[in-house]
Amino acid sequence: MNRRRFLLGSGGAAMLAGLSAAMPSQAAAQTSDARARIVIAGAGAAGLAMAARLRRGMPNATVTIIDAKKEHHFQPGFTLVGAGLWTPGHVTERNADYMPRGVDWIEEAVAEFDPDANAVVTTSGRKVDYDFLIVATGLKLDYTAIEGMDASLIGKEGIASIYAGPAEAAASAAAIDRFVASGGVGLFGRPAGEMKCAGAPLKITFITDDKARRQGRRGAVELIYNAHGTGVFAVPPVNDKVKEMFSARGVAVNYGHVLKAIDPGAKKATYKTEAGDVTLDYDFIHVVPPMRAPDAVRASPLPWQEGNLAADGWVEADKPTLRHPRYANVFAVGDIAGVPRGKTAASVKWQVPVVADNLIAETAGRAASAAYNGYTSCPMVTGYGKAMLIEFDYDGTLIPSFPFIDPLKELWVSWLIEEKGLLGAYRAMLRGRA
Amino acid sequence: MSDFNPVTLFFILSEAMGGWLWLLVVLALVLLGGIVYGLARLRRAGRPAKRPLTAAIAVGLVATAIFTLLMPAWTLAGLDAFASALDVAGAILLALVPGAMIAALVFTLASLRCAARGPRPQLS
Repeated sequence: MNRRRFLLGSGGAAMLAGLSAAMPSQAAAQTSDARARIVIAGAGAAGLAMAARLRRGMPNATVTIIDAKKEHHFQPGFTLVGAGLWTPGHVTERNADYMPRGVDWIEEAVAEFDPDANAVVTTSGRKVDYDFLIVATGLKLDYTAIEGMDASLIGKEGIASIYAGPAEAAASAAAIDRFVASGGVGLFGRPAGEMKCAGAPLKITFITDDKARRQGRRGAVELIYNAHGTGVFAVPPVNDKVKEMFSARGVAVNYGHVLKAIDPGAKKATYKTEAGDVTLDYDFIHVVPPMRAPDAVRASPLPWQEGNLAADGWVEADKPTLRHPRYANVFAVGDIAGVPRGKTAASVKWQVPVVADNLIAETAGRAASAAYNGYTSCPMVTGYGKAMLIEFDYDGTLIPSFPFIDPLKELWVSWLIEEKGLLGAYRAMLRGRA
Repeated sequence: MSDFNPVTLFFILSEAMGGWLWLLVVLALVLLGGIVYGLARLRRAGRPAKRPLTAAIAVGLVATAIFTLLMPAWTLAGLDAFASALDVAGAILLALVPGAMIAALVFTLASLRCAARGPRPQLS
């Protein structure tokens, strides 16, 4: 307990009333006496939140979490680490501190999923049988899919990437500082496939722009955002707004550019475009890696077999229930779920109660009626002290939690939620209490 | 905002503040007790609460104004972060927390001092 923690919470009830609505819904206080064996693959945000809710809602069930990870990262905070505002310690906690009592934690990774036999196999070869499987493995950052790129390069040779972890996000902040000080060309962008927190590449562009302005160095840096498609964001009104802001701030945009290769020594980045490969010189580049399902998931029968979510191995899931269409006792939550949108912590907040409530209801013989609408939230940081609180559903319709906050307006109150509010709400979510 | 509920709020506060939440609750109760005690002393001394109340409101307002200006810094931002009336309103709302606590403290102290002077002399 320290001063920062005190200050974090001392904003009072007014702010938290807002936060409560941003990350809402207490689980229905219904329980099931079923003696089911539930296995949760993954102890990230989705896995821990699910374990907490099922532990309370199904007291007679055996709940097992399988994950080798000891550390827990508050990933929504990586942007602020990358901005140089937070330290890695601010976003690093221990999974053990959030593991619900009565949950068996197997500290290994899942090596194999065998949904036909209702079993998973861990890396030590241990077979764990289940009645219900929750796939919450998260995703794999595939830096090596970019030729010449490796996560160990982050922080060196003008390369930044806030996704890889807290230390890498801090190294990225230092790389941004060096770039702003020395000047030159900065490249930003995102991969072509599904990714977590699709707003982050835009945020880091805005942060770099703002940092350069505040230091009187904006004229010394040229910022270029390489969009993978025909827009910079999948939700049309947000896309329009960000394009307008980029234009006003002198950020150039190249469309249809997907990072294919990087030459750190020569500081050249090669992009795949419709017109062929294009190579750009850079002094700074923020690399966002392609994201895919972990190998064990990809090698299993669980991923989509066809369609645009098949190639990267996302687990097949019904959009409203997140239930696997071919294996009715399997659900996917969090980043691994093969649904459009939904790869943010705020999405997890809405996905987990849906799956937990439906599972509890179903095993208790009641009708399962909860549905996930695709809720995804991105507090889009647009500068130091300013953000846009963007929330949308599967259809890309903006669904603001607060009628008085314009989602397309840069506001300090939205920044306040990002900087002060989300961590407490996230922790409460991990405990199944928010 | 349909999912707003006090239980969720409590858990968010608790996770954000840890043990400091209870310290704040105790502090709030102590200040509340101070107000009640100050009012009781004023009544016993036969003195009105007008002057302590005026002092508390004045100091509370000044404190709220100061804390409002400090709010952006609390969030690692500058004053230029205020972009709309909503931002200022939000900051004032938050600043009211320390402002009200300071006002409560001032009211208590002023009440005790006022009460110590004894009953107000009657004009005849």
